[in-house]
Amino acid sequence: MFAALLEAVPDAMVCTAADGLVVLVNAQAERLFGYERAELIGQPVQILVPDTARAEHPSHLAMYPADPQHRPMGAGLALAGRRRDASTFPAEISLSAIDTGEGILVAAAIRDVTAQLRMKDLERASESRESFIYAVSHDLRAPLRALSGYSGVLLEDYGGVLGEEGRGYAERIVAVSEQMRDLLDYLMQVSHLARAELHLESVDLGAEAARIVEQIQRREPERRVRFTIQQPVPAWADSGLIRTVLENLLENAWKFTSGQDDASIEFGTAPSEDAAVCCYVRDDGIGFDPAYAGKLFQPFQRLHAARDFPATGTGTGLASVRQIVELHGGRVWAEGAVGVGATFYFTLDGKEST
Amino acid sequence: MTGRTILLVEDNPDDEALTLRAFDKSNIHNKVIVKRDGAEALAYLFPGDGDGDGNGNGNDDAPYPALILLDLNLPKVGGLEVLRRMRADERTQMIPVVVLTSSKLEEDVLVSYRNGANAYVRKPVKFSEFTEAVKALGVFWLLLNEPVPSVAPKLGLR
Repeated sequence: MFAALLEAVPDAMVCTAADGLVVLVNAQAERLFGYERAELIGQPVQILVPDTARAEHPSHLAMYPADPQHRPMGAGLALAGRRRDASTFPAEISLSAIDTGEGILVAAAIRDVTAQLRMKDLERASESRESFIYAVSHDLRAPLRALSGYSGVLLEDYGGVLGEEGRGYAERIVAVSEQMRDLLDYLMQVSHLARAELHLESVDLGAEAARIVEQIQRREPERRVRFTIQQPVPAWADSGLIRTVLENLLENAWKFTSGQDDASIEFGTAPSEDAAVCCYVRDDGIGFDPAYAGKLFQPFQRLHAARDFPATGTGTGLASVRQIVELHGGRVWAEGAVGVGATFYFTLDGKEST
Repeated sequence: MTGRTILLVEDNPDDEALTLRAFDKSNIHNKVIVKRDGAEALAYLFPGDGDGDGNGNGNDDAPYPALILLDLNLPKVGGLEVLRRMRADERTQMIPVVVLTSSKLEEDVLVSYRNGANAYVRKPVKFSEFTEAVKALGVFWLLLNEPVPSVAPKLGLR
């Protein structure tokens, strides 16, 4: 009965008698330590303890029945188990005493925590990588400011000496510095987002979109663009981050309809089977070649040459959109054709699933 | 107006050069004192307190600056510590301090205001924006803004 119970436990179980000899093990213990059951029964439990810890083990073992509470073993210590082939693994072990009527058995539940430790290491490594990226992109701004600054001084104070060609080169240094600044800003944002915690709340995406559209229009009031904004569009999201998503998408729509007299831009929702809400931003602007749709959301990719669209930026806007949406557990995709326009979709999870 | 001095606490020589030029180009010809770390700035503001020679650094007759541009990331003593000590001393409590830094970390902004900064400006990378920012700061704090009425305390007086 007791042995059957032991087999049902997910952890490896090893029971020892007061003399420190193994009296009972389960199949999980056989698998974990690489021993056959028969090889373990009657052996001192120390054969499962790494050489380095073996010397102290008998005294600890002897002390346990004196204070037999169920407890994790060596709390805060890095424990390890020893396999038959002498290899070791990091372990979490908890002990309990069982009074069988024929003396007290000490039952040890052993769990291999290699995977958990590796996850922790990975998390730590990724965290320090993100803060490294943040620090580097921050520190690179100072020399960049000097580069842009001194080129600007050359232009303003020595423009005459430089001549037209020389001024052209200095202007390029200023322009390239700005481009690099945008790239650094993107890097900082990515590393910041990777460490960010989402503050989810109820947001009306329609109202947000309307606010953004108002700001965009105010910048170029002479442009005639028909906006259709669905309201309300309730969603569960981090309001600051989701505003960045809407800003990027609406700014793009505005930018890529700039050559048109009578453009229309639409924000709305589409039915979705797998998400709480599916939104889209649609424009009838220059569109894109669907063959390159996969590249749209990759950082530093631009489908339109900078000389055709001087305001295209660094090609990081949609990459930010994707990162933020995925952080929310949603996904992004785009549909479009050259000369017809583009539609960008994103989904968000509901309150329960995030 | 040119009698009112500006204290620039900045360890980066490029930022210093560009800031000084921006003031010059904006016709802000006030005297600019430059200190290159937090300890230097404190020794200037509190002569006799920091360097231990008690001679007041010869600044006894210099007025307190009318505006302080303070970087956060400074050698020896950081900008926030400078700010904290200034705000704790009644002689420097009310001098306008503009934090002028590269950092846009929310916590830096927050802790600067919490410690009594009057403004927080992130140094723009783009030259024209940088010049504009320095000019705007000078114009606002030295011309537009009404200074704290006082009997013009002098450095070195207790």
